[in-house]
Amino acid sequence: MSPSDLVLGRVSEGVREPHPGRTTIDREPDYLHDEHTLRSWLGSTDHKRIGILYLLSITFFFIIGACAAGLIRLSLVVPNGQIFSNDTYNKLFTIHGVVMVWFFLIPSIPATFGNFIMPIMIGAKDVAFPRLNRTSWYIFMTGAFFTLFTVVVGGVDTGWTFYAPFSTTFSNTWVVPALIGVIVVGFSSILTGLNFIVTIHTMRAPGMTWFRMPIFVWTMYATSLIFLLATPVITIALILLVMERAFHIGVFDPALGGDPVLFEHLFWFYSHPAVYIMVLPGMGVISEIVPAFAQKKLFGYRFVAYASIGLASLTFFVWGHHMFVNGESETSAVVFSVLSFAVAVPSAVKVYNWTATIYKGSLKLDTPMLYAMGYIGLFVVGGLTGLFLATLAVDEHVHDTYFVVAHFHYIMVGGTALAFLGGLHYWWPKFTGRMYPEALGRLSAFFIFIGFNTTFFPQFLLGYLGMPRRYHNYPPEFQLLNILSSAGSVVLALGYLFPMFYLTWSLRYGKRAPANPWNAKGLEWTTSSPPPKHNFETPPTVDFEPYDYIAREDRV
Amino acid sequence: MSGTVAHLNTGPTAEVGLEREEHFTTDGQQIHAAKFGLWCWLLTELLLFAGLFLTALVLRIMHPQAVTEVAKHLKFWIGATNTAVLIVSSFTMSGAIELSRLGWQRGMVRCMLATAALGSLFLVLKGYEYYEDWDEHMMPFLSSRPYVLTQDPSSRLFTDLYYITTGLHGLHLLTGVSILLVMTWMASRPGFLGRRQNRIEIFGLYWHFIDLIWIIVFPVLYVLNR
Repeated sequence: MSPSDLVLGRVSEGVREPHPGRTTIDREPDYLHDEHTLRSWLGSTDHKRIGILYLLSITFFFIIGACAAGLIRLSLVVPNGQIFSNDTYNKLFTIHGVVMVWFFLIPSIPATFGNFIMPIMIGAKDVAFPRLNRTSWYIFMTGAFFTLFTVVVGGVDTGWTFYAPFSTTFSNTWVVPALIGVIVVGFSSILTGLNFIVTIHTMRAPGMTWFRMPIFVWTMYATSLIFLLATPVITIALILLVMERAFHIGVFDPALGGDPVLFEHLFWFYSHPAVYIMVLPGMGVISEIVPAFAQKKLFGYRFVAYASIGLASLTFFVWGHHMFVNGESETSAVVFSVLSFAVAVPSAVKVYNWTATIYKGSLKLDTPMLYAMGYIGLFVVGGLTGLFLATLAVDEHVHDTYFVVAHFHYIMVGGTALAFLGGLHYWWPKFTGRMYPEALGRLSAFFIFIGFNTTFFPQFLLGYLGMPRRYHNYPPEFQLLNILSSAGSVVLALGYLFPMFYLTWSLRYGKRAPANPWNAKGLEWTTSSPPPKHNFETPPTVDFEPYDYIAREDRV
Repeated sequence: MSGTVAHLNTGPTAEVGLEREEHFTTDGQQIHAAKFGLWCWLLTELLLFAGLFLTALVLRIMHPQAVTEVAKHLKFWIGATNTAVLIVSSFTMSGAIELSRLGWQRGMVRCMLATAALGSLFLVLKGYEYYEDWDEHMMPFLSSRPYVLTQDPSSRLFTDLYYITTGLHGLHLLTGVSILLVMTWMASRPGFLGRRQNRIEIFGLYWHFIDLIWIIVFPVLYVLNR
């Protein structure tokens, strides 16, 4: 070995970085440095690499969806909508909805963190079907790019819900190709859910019993159940749409013997549970962050676990609350209303448990915790306004107005995007082996919280005052609130852009991360950052309870 | 071909087993995961059809006369024969699985070919049934084949559901036959049972399930109210 080799760090195969003056680590290369070629990434069956592939893909889709949202808000600054034509506006909100719901919110946390962290959390070497996992990503990318291509190049004006009979009979846009892409992406969801369920059942490390699993794993399990049980129903609903539009085999068009309300039933039987595909994983992330930054055992662990399964089950019985004003019988409306109220119980259980965990904890207000607290706030607002909408009389008033838009943005975007960013900062050291700049992280959390509320809170007022959703023009008296909302979206956009820059920056210049930078509990913090190819140097055995932070009274 | 056939005569002495993938700790874990995974997939298949079954049943309850009128025009005997054909094919598939467990590769391959043949027979009969339907002007979505009964919306919806449901089932069967043929070709090669016997069992589950779906399709579309 020549001295110049030593300076350049070229000591052995195990060397990770050719930086002079740094300590070289003489151990097995981790999953990031195992191989460097593009092929080794695109052909990888390692769940961690697949998680990173998903992370990059959904970030890309997020940017597309966010740009469309920005254009929508730009157009709504003026009441008469002179910026875009009616048609372009319809296509824009469809791009925003389709891309954000199908290609960002639904896969976001399960496909990225679920893939990366969940197997490590249960002490497995990989998911049960690694090749299927890789295939799922390819299916996702194929379907998503196909649809993205159609909505951007050809355009679709149906909105993300593809409501019949507009989508089957009247729309003159590229509905069929867009639907085919969404159907294909559904298979990716099903396969990911199936993989997770089998992994959680069969791949747990010795000693990892069901009630020793972190809540994130519980929520992944509950989410996967929804993937598995609800996705086939949207698949068949969309196949029927394609059949009707392309071959005139009528199912939804009354002129062909069909019933448009049938589409709503099939659609919401999936799409209401889909909300919980977006929210439950977020709850899982928050349940990891809050105990770590309060350094306290998660309050009522079992109840939080049961509440996850409870939410996943209840969600299948509330789809009718999307149809209060479409002529469903009074009895069904009342039943669906009551069942929708019931959803508040497990949701509240979770919020109370997080609050009780924070209570008298030794709080560290680092970036992930700031995001988590922002999440809890937004989730409470979104949840309570959900009760407004479940109330029959109020729903009559605010149905299809901006009130609904604000409500589901609070739940779905507040619930997913904030948890996603919180989780991204929390596990970033584990993903990359680098720390991010803490001050910028906190700043981004503030920007997002303030931007989010400025954007969406005015929409509650707009909706209550009667501004309908999906319109590109409105009476001039609504302009002030719309300008406020658009201004908020600029702040929100800044909040999203920040992490993209400093996280990328940290990949090269960030401080090296220790195995457990947060002093957190859980198997993922016992392995190195980033983890080795097979997750653990020695296969773990679990002989501790989840979240075994030192009890308060035992602290010195 | 003779080169490949020779080893098939090894009879029940062919080694039976499975090659363990590196992320599993035990064979049992791998077998359990594969079986459980396929059951989960089959659950999604059931739900894929469930929307169609439910719609057809609700339609029958709400508009019994109009629906029964159409249902009487379905070719009951072809449907019934097809049911029998699929049940026999499930039996031959079970035979293939049992023989694969015993390591009787030649018998297993024969049973698998018989299963594929029966599956194809089903598709041929189904195709003939569609031809008869076409001949009777029963396809309302072809504007050149107007069908008097479908003037009534619920009859038309039921007829459309019939084509979608049987078409979707036929597509599943076509996929099944294709996979089965590829698998038979792979399973006839030496050493297959020693490494991949598991796959025959897993595929068997899928085949039985397609059979089971038809056993729901048949009464829901052809038999009820008859």
